Amino acid sequence: MSLENILTNWSKYRKGAEEGGFHDYEHMWGRVIDLNKCTGCSACVVACYAENNLAVVGKDRFADGHAMHWLRIERYWDEPDLGEGRVAEFQHHGASFLPMHCQQCNAATCEPVCPVAATYHTPDGLNAQVYNRCIGSRYCSNNCPYRLRYFNFFSYYESSWPAPLHMQLNPDLTVRDKGVMEKCTFCVQRIRAVKDKAKMQDRKVLDGEVQPACVQTCPTSAMTFGDILDMHSPGKGVENTQAAALWRKHQVELGKAKQVKQDPELRGYRVLEGLNTDPKVLFLERVREV
Amino acid sequence: MSLDKMKRREFLKVLGWGGVGTTLAGCDMPTTVTVQEGKEEVVAYLAPEEYVIPGIGVWYATTCAQCGSGCGVHGRVREGRVLKLEGNPESQVNRGKLCPAGQASLQAHYNPDRITAPRVRRNGQFEQISWEQAFALLDEKAGPSSGLAGDRFAWVSDTVSGHQAVLLKAWMDAIGSRHHYVHEAVNDAVWRAVCRDMLGDENPRLRVDKARVILSFGADFLSTWGSPIHNSTQYSEFRTAPRGVLIQAEPKMTVTGASADLWVPVRPGAEGVLALAIANVLVSKHHRDISSLPAEAQEQIRAYDLDNAARITGVTGEHIIRIAGLLNERGPSLVLAGASAAGHARGYDSVAAAMLLNIMLGNVGKTLESSAGFPFPQLAAKTGGNKELLDFAAALESKSFDVVFFSGTNPVYTAPEALKLKDKLAVVPFKVAFTQFDDETAQQADLVLPLRSALEDWGTHVPAAQPEQMQINMQQPLMEPLYPETRGFGDAILALLKLRKAPQYSAYDDYYAYLRNAFAALPAALKLGTISDQQFWTRAVQKGVIEVGAGRGNLATRVVSFTVAEPAEEGRPFTLVPSAGANLRDGRYANLPWLQEVPDPISKVVWDSWAELHPSAAAKIGVKTGDRVRIESEHGAIEAKVYIYKGMHPDAIAVPLGQGHEAYGRYAQGRGVNPLKILGLATETKTGELANHATRVQVTRIADKAGDKLVKLGGSEVQLGRKLVATVTADVFARTEGEA
Repeated sequence: MSLENILTNWSKYRKGAEEGGFHDYEHMWGRVIDLNKCTGCSACVVACYAENNLAVVGKDRFADGHAMHWLRIERYWDEPDLGEGRVAEFQHHGASFLPMHCQQCNAATCEPVCPVAATYHTPDGLNAQVYNRCIGSRYCSNNCPYRLRYFNFFSYYESSWPAPLHMQLNPDLTVRDKGVMEKCTFCVQRIRAVKDKAKMQDRKVLDGEVQPACVQTCPTSAMTFGDILDMHSPGKGVENTQAAALWRKHQVELGKAKQVKQDPELRGYRVLEGLNTDPKVLFLERVREV
Repeated sequence: MSLDKMKRREFLKVLGWGGVGTTLAGCDMPTTVTVQEGKEEVVAYLAPEEYVIPGIGVWYATTCAQCGSGCGVHGRVREGRVLKLEGNPESQVNRGKLCPAGQASLQAHYNPDRITAPRVRRNGQFEQISWEQAFALLDEKAGPSSGLAGDRFAWVSDTVSGHQAVLLKAWMDAIGSRHHYVHEAVNDAVWRAVCRDMLGDENPRLRVDKARVILSFGADFLSTWGSPIHNSTQYSEFRTAPRGVLIQAEPKMTVTGASADLWVPVRPGAEGVLALAIANVLVSKHHRDISSLPAEAQEQIRAYDLDNAARITGVTGEHIIRIAGLLNERGPSLVLAGASAAGHARGYDSVAAAMLLNIMLGNVGKTLESSAGFPFPQLAAKTGGNKELLDFAAALESKSFDVVFFSGTNPVYTAPEALKLKDKLAVVPFKVAFTQFDDETAQQADLVLPLRSALEDWGTHVPAAQPEQMQINMQQPLMEPLYPETRGFGDAILALLKLRKAPQYSAYDDYYAYLRNAFAALPAALKLGTISDQQFWTRAVQKGVIEVGAGRGNLATRVVSFTVAEPAEEGRPFTLVPSAGANLRDGRYANLPWLQEVPDPISKVVWDSWAELHPSAAAKIGVKTGDRVRIESEHGAIEAKVYIYKGMHPDAIAVPLGQGHEAYGRYAQGRGVNPLKILGLATETKTGELANHATRVQVTRIADKAGDKLVKLGGSEVQLGRKLVATVTADVFARTEGEA
């Protein structure tokens, strides 16, 4: 996708589902994270480090906010207010875990601010980052309301993979250098491999065929990944996927800043949806017996 | 005696199939090598080289060796390098899933601090030598010419199983020593002892998936206790409608506790009282019949009424009633008890009280099933705990061993300072460490023999906690060894055996040849007789697991005599909880940078130790999050920064295990503190396990060290009203996602 193309077709790329958007999409990769099942174990985080050549930055740089974890598990404590200013003495409902990785927004706030179109929307519905076009302005990172973009302030590769640790690096993607922004890609190398294979075999991509590293390893199967294009453009993309079925079941639609649900008790929601970023990660609410 | 003259029974014993019972059932073994759907690249490693295509990743099956759970893995190999591990869906242990440590075993393999050649200590300095020289030395010190035999030898290892256990046992038999100590600092030894005594089965199969209510007394079964990934796959079903309820009672919130519907802080050591108080409510309020229980047990249940129990345990009567109510109305339930309940002088009794609930609630046979009898006792997992460490230390004093071998465990790091293990070891003339890394124990050794990584080695593994279908897990090398001067663990023991038992073992050039012979000699019932040895072998390494059909018996129930008592509060004001997490476990993963950089799930701290306190306790000491405290027991002191949250009992202070290494490579060394060091040596009364959750400590605020900071993920501890993680009630869940 050239810069010219982006400038020419700007309005088209910014159209939501309700305006007849998505018509050029081949796929619309999205996912569902069930917080009823997530235990915060962080297996997904390590799987991501292994798959995506994420740099280990060490304690000092972590303290400076330079950690490169494309996927992080946020942990929040309850604020139970018992009324009259009394608060609960203990966390009787455990913790709240929130796995956060790039939400692959369809109206991504990071995209329009890139001065060199290094971040753009692909026909797969992915919010992509072109490393060798990135000039490190960090506008995208400033604009991401989820703080899910990570900047290479240093040449981390100089210290992250002392030999022979470097032999583990995944040759399917690059090691990023100083001055470049990076973030979760939904394991685009895996998506590409599956698409190529399907093309060679002259068939469509199958549901469940693409498994990002985090989804694959999740011990409680809390994450479901798949094509959700079919939801809005019937007959397109991978049809009748598990992921799309969950979006439908929870009555969450793309292209809306506020969901109107027939059954308001359904658990599906998107984080900071009201900002109209149109994320493609559907969370299912944590459940607790009261 | 040559091989062909060897009697068949002995031959089978050499190869690990000794003691085959009649319980061995035929299992469903296809007669052809099948290609696993969707993963047609899964091939035996011995496939011809032309199969390797540059740029194409090929997946091979093997077994994760990071802990004793024995999860099956697929390793992606490209251009001769292993790049990524994923769970092997063929293995019913982990069903395609893997934990953080399993993912990170790549970094144990490619670790920059691996030992690459044998070392011997000469005049206090390590010198590099060849394996030939090393074995010449071993022959001199431990071979027949050494004149040593029997109990002059000891071996300290981690959990071993499969053919490695067969060979290790053969070696111990060959030298005539009974001193094999299996030491696991993080273990479920007391639970196993209670299961053995009350259910007649040391490793009953847990049915987390079938339970509707789980009550866990500190059993961190999703993270460090039992077979965590197996439990997690079942937990996924447990949380699917109809959704099960998880109740966790413990002094420090574990990862499992963080997922609980109801988390209750219990005073350290009072878990048994809480269990009996719940039983009391089940009798008094819900009219559960306990007339079949022994009088002693009935009496104890009656002794702990609500007021009494609430006073002792610190758990409110309201919560006790609620827990009993949930257990009563929703069955089947499952009651578990883990490290924080077991690690006290009366830990066994607390765990027994928890087991009593299982018996009262009729869970035995429903959510606790008999383990299938594994038909090959020689291959079964040999596991242990901290008792073995204490026994070893005691034996060091009284037996004065001449030669001690270490493998897979780091007792110099995990032993409390009060045990003076380092001093006791100093008098042993010859210490041999089989290891990948220069850890604290290797530094005390006289001969350090570098092992291959788990991803370069052959092996078979039989985890103690088995899934529905029992299985033998295959471990095969995923790539050529990185360092030529390293040896496989099986190879090393085989070489040792050849020093003493050449006639039986000289026929096997290496461990691979031994395994091939072993599989050729496998009882026909497992091979169904119709396929060739080669086909069977290929299929075994391709699939990664060999399913072993075996009969499942019934659990017995026997209420043992036990006495639950109020924990004594003497001396110092806090109880130290040395908490295990999945990231660093007992410190064995501290040299893996991924696991150092991944935040602890609860505190979110990275690359360091910290101390967890309840706000009320912190207020008493006068500290806030980030302040530095000194934690002092009778046996020493450690210092750490505090992290304050409401997931602690106010009488407890928790310090995570894993840091405080004095050696173990660049990522582990000199980072944080090791709480195991200041533990007292009190033991659990009935099992002799270390009462490792009973050490009393004094906590005082001390001055900050310049430049020292508590580094953690995230700025805000709470959501500040944003809908980041939203919560609904189980009633809503039941309405919208159904009971079915």
